[in-house]
Amino acid sequence: MTAAAWVCLLAPLAGALLVTLLGTRLSRDGAGYVATASVAVAFGAAVFSFFSLLGRDPEDRAARSDAWTWLSVGDLDVSLGILVDPLSVLMMLIVTGVGALIVAYSIGYMHGDDEERRFFAYMAFFVFSMLLLVESGNFLILLVGWGLVGLSSYLLIGFHHERPSAIAAAKKAFIMNAAGDAAMALALFLLIVNTGALDYGGVFGQVEQLASGEWVVNLVALGLLAGAVAKSAQIPLHTWLPDAMEGPTPVSALIHAATMVTAGVFLLVRCHPIFEAAPRIQDLAAGIGAVTLLVAGLIALVQTDIKRVIAYSTMSQIGYMFLGAGLGAYANGMFHLMTHAFFKALLFLAAGIVIHALLGEQDMRKMGGLRRLLPRTWLFFLIGGLALAGMPPLSGFFSKDSVLASALDAGTYGQILWVAGLIGALLTGIYTFRMIFMVFGGEPSAFVQEHLHKEGDAEGPFWMTSTVAVLALLAVVGGWIQIAGLWHPLASFLDPILAVEREHLALREPSGWEDLLTSVLAVGLGLVGIWLAWRIYGVRRTEAPAGAGLRRVLEQKFFFDEVYDAVFYRPAAGIARMWTRWIEAPLIGGSLRGLAAGTRDAGGRVTQVQTGFLRNYALAIAAGLAVLAVVFLSVRA
Amino acid sequence: MMGPEINAYLILAAFLFATGALGVLIRRSPLIVLLSLEIMLNGANLALIAFSRRFGEIDGQIFALAVMAVAASEVVVGLGLIVAMARRHLDLDVDKLTTLRG
Amino acid sequence: MGNFLVWVVWVAAAFACLGSAVAVITFANPFYSALALVGNLGSLAVLYLLLSAEFVAAAQMLVYAGAVMVMFLFVIAYLGGRAETPWAGGPGWQAVAAVGAAGALLVEIVVAVGLKAGGRLSEEADVDAFFGGPHEIGRLFLTDHLLAFEITSIVLLIAAIGGVILGSNARSGPESTGGSPARAGGTRSPAPSISAAQPPEGEAAR
Repeated sequence: MTAAAWVCLLAPLAGALLVTLLGTRLSRDGAGYVATASVAVAFGAAVFSFFSLLGRDPEDRAARSDAWTWLSVGDLDVSLGILVDPLSVLMMLIVTGVGALIVAYSIGYMHGDDEERRFFAYMAFFVFSMLLLVESGNFLILLVGWGLVGLSSYLLIGFHHERPSAIAAAKKAFIMNAAGDAAMALALFLLIVNTGALDYGGVFGQVEQLASGEWVVNLVALGLLAGAVAKSAQIPLHTWLPDAMEGPTPVSALIHAATMVTAGVFLLVRCHPIFEAAPRIQDLAAGIGAVTLLVAGLIALVQTDIKRVIAYSTMSQIGYMFLGAGLGAYANGMFHLMTHAFFKALLFLAAGIVIHALLGEQDMRKMGGLRRLLPRTWLFFLIGGLALAGMPPLSGFFSKDSVLASALDAGTYGQILWVAGLIGALLTGIYTFRMIFMVFGGEPSAFVQEHLHKEGDAEGPFWMTSTVAVLALLAVVGGWIQIAGLWHPLASFLDPILAVEREHLALREPSGWEDLLTSVLAVGLGLVGIWLAWRIYGVRRTEAPAGAGLRRVLEQKFFFDEVYDAVFYRPAAGIARMWTRWIEAPLIGGSLRGLAAGTRDAGGRVTQVQTGFLRNYALAIAAGLAVLAVVFLSVRA
Repeated sequence: MMGPEINAYLILAAFLFATGALGVLIRRSPLIVLLSLEIMLNGANLALIAFSRRFGEIDGQIFALAVMAVAASEVVVGLGLIVAMARRHLDLDVDKLTTLRG
Repeated sequence: MGNFLVWVVWVAAAFACLGSAVAVITFANPFYSALALVGNLGSLAVLYLLLSAEFVAAAQMLVYAGAVMVMFLFVIAYLGGRAETPWAGGPGWQAVAAVGAAGALLVEIVVAVGLKAGGRLSEEADVDAFFGGPHEIGRLFLTDHLLAFEITSIVLLIAAIGGVILGSNARSGPESTGGSPARAGGTRSPAPSISAAQPPEGEAAR
């Protein structure tokens, strides 16, 4: 079984290497097929692991496999190892499954691009990095995967490197993630010092004594949380995600919706013993999730770029996942992660079909009336939107409501968050259907009539439409794996890793009435949101909110970017300028220049000995001889 | 013992050597420089012969003969150079050869 | 009587030697300098005879004075023997320093021979009549010093080849047409003045 996990991990890497090394000997489409095949192989291996895991007893479902000892320092031994247990297998399935679909989609979307091979190499490399992250058996490999995922994100966001905005966005993403990575690394240092181990088993086994000190476990949890917040684009480290939409649409779908940004949630669930030992930090995580889901939902109301709406929606939905994981509802949070991967990828890829058909236009204000022109895409979009808004019987309904119901069950704090979540459901309905009505509703706009490009009857290339159809299907049925109150195989599957000793943080299983109440309210509010969107955007096109001040705040994304610019960037740039001017140029540059000038000067002076006169040289010989004779005479007296 | 001591020959050889060295360093014509070099070589020869007589070993004379042969070869090459210089219409002036000037 | 004769011969030869050496380096006409050198070689041969080096003395006259100097005189005749003032030209301090260096060498050798060596260089060893004769020299050349003998012959061969090459027409190339053609390349600047950029006269700064 671990062999299958290794195959799953290494197949995308092999795909990436193959595409890289074959270079132009591989056709552009060929690169796409190779990458897709490698991820598909990984998916097959993940399925195999899943089934072999199922074949074991529930208590026995954690297998470690170490390749070799990577780092051995003092008492610390870190190996290059993977851990195959229900959580990692679930993530493997999601990553490779959705990943394979998205990479296949890219064959159609990126067709004809000059640097298509580079794209597929990067995509395969990303899948490998993400798998390394989820399959890691210790914190160090986790950090390696974390970093590689950030690198892949940078490479893919900046894929269109001739665009300065793309480069800037890539840098922004990388730097913000680096802040989180640094905090995580500090947490790891604390772990090494206090527990002497970095593998999961070793660390989690010592959580008790770790918690004996008042602040250590809190700092560790805080560091891990900071890394998760940065990677998952939660407030306050969220500003990079909307800008990351500069990357191609499949990148946005894979990295910034389905997989990479969910790595933070994965971390919260994986390290739950640490978080449970630091309850305040865990509550902080839930609170961050709630704040983010509200803020992101509000900002999404005024966005005009179709991909940015979906990006803010991602931010908001991950807020839900943080909410769930922060309150201890790990299975529910993971469930929402899975369904979100389906319908968010669906939305992004369907939006990609629209963008592809409009030859690259992403501004929703120019779109309209695509319902009749792209009927199948409209259907897919509708499915995705309804799932996002949490309408039954689609997948989003089951997962989101389970998270919310768990919140209700979690005491006063949880109830406050529950209210926030419900408001978020309202906002989700509004902005999602605002988007749908603006893009698909009404009559075709002038822009659309002029620029719409369809290849015959098909709304898009084969690879694009077929993979979106598969995702639509998953978005419909994906939620049926866990219906509260009836059956919960997912939760049972995840049980073993979440077995905790502490009673009060047992797996959240909302009881009957909480569930019902939540579902009714959530669905109701979602419908209200849809109706509001229809009123404002479907019937006639006006912009809301009408108030100019509030509008401006939302359009400026609550001024986060401006604040960060003033607080972090400008002082740093000023200091750098000052250092260049006062220290680097005069001292370092000056010393080097002085050295060079001095050497040249000395050389010039020495050159004067070489007069070119033969007689001078002969004189030098004679004089030297005379001196030597004196030396010999005096020394050897 | 007949005649002056060996010391005297050695002092004489020293004078010859110094004179030759002076000639090499002062004169500008390469011909004269070559001649001065010959004087230096002869001074060395005289010293060799003197030492050979002092110690009764004939090897000094062997050495002197070898020096003579080498001096002859050197004169051949040196004169060849001078003739080559003259053929190219260069001034026969040691001070004019300054391409080694750095 | 014998001793007195030896002394007379020695003094005469010594003075001739020194005088001719000084003449070589002071005459302006190279022809005269070469002739003075012939005189120097002759007086040296006499001194060799006094030192029981008969064979070397004979070789000196035959080879050195007879062949080498004749070659010198041939070349001087071919070159036209331009006369030049002996002490002119060059940086001023060169002459002073030259005298200093040569003088220092002289003084050092005198000190070494006269003072440091003590009286050890005074006597002569006892030698038989065959000392310095061709029999002894030939025997040593073919037994103990065979290597030196052979290598010397190779040196002479190389010198001969060098002389031929230096004098061959192929080396003179396009310059043999005479005149003062300007050319680039090589390490020679165009005739007649070599690297005329720096006239050596008046270079007191050097």
